[in-house]
Amino acid sequence: MSDETKPASGDSSGLLNGLLTGGAEKPQRVNEAARSLDPSAVKDLLSLGVCERCILRLITVATFDSDLATVSSSTLRGWLGSGEEEAASPEMSICIVCLGVLQFVFSDDKQTLVKMKSDCGSGHAAWITDLVKQQGHEFDSFCLEVSLPSTISENERAVLLYLKGKYSNEAWLQSEKVSVKDALKVLVLDPLRASLGAKSDSSSFHIRLTYSKASDDAQGLSETTHERKKRKTDVVYADEENGSSCISENPFEKVYEPCILSVHCNQMPIFFSGRYFKYSRNVSQSRWIIDDERMGEASVEEIIGGSILPACLGDSYKFHAAGREDIDVRMLGSGRPFLIEVQNSRKCPSQQSLTEIEEKINNSEKKLVGVKDLKFIGSECWAMMREGEAEKQKQYAALVWISRPLEEEDCNSISSMIELKILQKTPIRVLHRRSPLERERTIHWMKLEKIKGNTHYFLLHLCTQAGTYIKEFVHGDLGRTTPSMGSILGCRAEIIQLDVTDVKMGDS
Amino acid sequence: MEETQNIDVTKNPEGEDAIESTKQKQPEEVEHHCDEQQKQSQCEEDELRKLLLSDIGELPLSPPSAIQVNFVSYFITGFTKPGHDQYIYRHANGLCVIGLAPTHIAFKDQGGITNIDFNVGKSDRSVLKVSGKRKKNAMRSESNTALCKVSTANDSYIVRCCVKGSLLEVNERLIKQPQLLNSSADREGYIAIIMPRPADWTKNKESLITLEEYKEKKQDILLEPCLL
Repeated sequence: MSDETKPASGDSSGLLNGLLTGGAEKPQRVNEAARSLDPSAVKDLLSLGVCERCILRLITVATFDSDLATVSSSTLRGWLGSGEEEAASPEMSICIVCLGVLQFVFSDDKQTLVKMKSDCGSGHAAWITDLVKQQGHEFDSFCLEVSLPSTISENERAVLLYLKGKYSNEAWLQSEKVSVKDALKVLVLDPLRASLGAKSDSSSFHIRLTYSKASDDAQGLSETTHERKKRKTDVVYADEENGSSCISENPFEKVYEPCILSVHCNQMPIFFSGRYFKYSRNVSQSRWIIDDERMGEASVEEIIGGSILPACLGDSYKFHAAGREDIDVRMLGSGRPFLIEVQNSRKCPSQQSLTEIEEKINNSEKKLVGVKDLKFIGSECWAMMREGEAEKQKQYAALVWISRPLEEEDCNSISSMIELKILQKTPIRVLHRRSPLERERTIHWMKLEKIKGNTHYFLLHLCTQAGTYIKEFVHGDLGRTTPSMGSILGCRAEIIQLDVTDVKMGDS
Repeated sequence: MEETQNIDVTKNPEGEDAIESTKQKQPEEVEHHCDEQQKQSQCEEDELRKLLLSDIGELPLSPPSAIQVNFVSYFITGFTKPGHDQYIYRHANGLCVIGLAPTHIAFKDQGGITNIDFNVGKSDRSVLKVSGKRKKNAMRSESNTALCKVSTANDSYIVRCCVKGSLLEVNERLIKQPQLLNSSADREGYIAIIMPRPADWTKNKESLITLEEYKEKKQDILLEPCLL
């Protein structure tokens, strides 16, 4: 055993100091990693201003994985440096490659410098955990995303190029290097799992660590991505031409400011489905504002979305419905299917709370809108919505007036019209925003219901193809819809009011 | 009765949810459930009928027409020539329907209007091909741009746009059925639909008169006020 730990001849003994203390406990790989370190390369990089973890990342043959990640900075310093390095200067210099990311040095969003005392990732994880908890999400799994400034990969490329130039044939140069991003994840993921009490997987709850360059850096935010990309190419070409480590710009400039780290949590949208009823003739389906004035007294979207959003503690919501009706048309019968999509919800309400929300809306004083079957729904929601679209039939009840008295034969002739084909030119009322087309539609069946004591009015029940303009079918839209109720009955017909009585959706 | 209940049972099996709901119903409960379902759908139908019928309010003998509800009627009299009276129905969305007002002199000729020709000015207005939401290829018209020529036994009269804007549509049904102009010039006998720009409309509006003003002006000539 002691043979394995004896330093190979020619290596300075300082390199392996850390190994010997408690060496038997450390995994085999860590030992090998320590031994594989090329001392001159290490000294070189240290003098350039590369941090210990980056050196370990770039110079070992072994991959920088969780084994190596657990090695503390001071141990690393012991392996890498002589006694001088151990008496670490009070001002730790910021790594020119990782800009302090792997040293757990950064500025928070108030521009305060933060230096983690414990430097094996758990301190950093604790700091991140605090910020995550502040945002108030409930979760049992998370997906960690890291975003770093692009100059970090440029810096790394420059350093590797420099090393290639100087140490061209070394074995450690050939191995694939773990990126700063992946190294950070390795360092922080396990402690983060522990302090958050959650699993880490491809969850719908994302924790994003965004490192950005300090603003007064010359190569900072003012430069566009395009300019930066162009500059990156320039640097590379220069090197390949010269074949040496002569670099047009000096990426080895001292770094004075670490990155700014911000932590953002985002929950992927969650969906709720249900069916709504609209009992009012003065409520629009979605929020409708013209010239700063609201049309109608409320909207279905705001009544339903406005009740669900607070229960989810979300940022915002979107309302999707399977079709729509005019503001002055009621939605009765089995209701119209809808989806509420909530952005960045902090918690998912229980079915119990959803039932309470449903009852609250249904029992409200004004009874403008009703809701049924409100529930949480997963990714099958869009398939459900699509079902309600073009292929389906819709059923209506219209109150119609005609200019002559209704006769018995009218009821019979209307009832006998099955699968009546009509041609509708784009109604004048929507012609300003829709294409002028002629659309063929089918009226599947019709039924006249007489109204007691009145021969000029009747209730027209009809079932039509989706996309049929009912009002225009009744009054004819100046002859642009043919046939129309008026033309069929040979007189003038007007629609007084309209109700949707059924929106058929597959089996439900 | 029992048969129906049995059919209902097979039609509505307990669903297999991802979240297992352990609802193991007893046979009596199943029947009761179906009975309830039937009652419930009957109940829903009754509810629906109540809603439909209760909302029927006043039923006036002659309710306002779709045009009266959705459009504001404007008129112009003696446009470019005496007796050339036309209406402009403006919808809330800005579109204008143009047609012959009841006092147009064409209606005085014996036999009324017998023919209409859209081939006036530089092109045949009836072969317009306006397409898309942006109304591509619509002819831009000034207020005195000719729309069509209507002919009677005695004479012919030019009908003009009266509104500056894009010509979206002409009523080509009139070509085969010019009598629509005689029977219902204010509805199926409309002549064209024009879309003015907001600024153009504001200026245009000044040369138009309202329905009330029109009635006053022409009270001698109008024999059927209910046409309006």
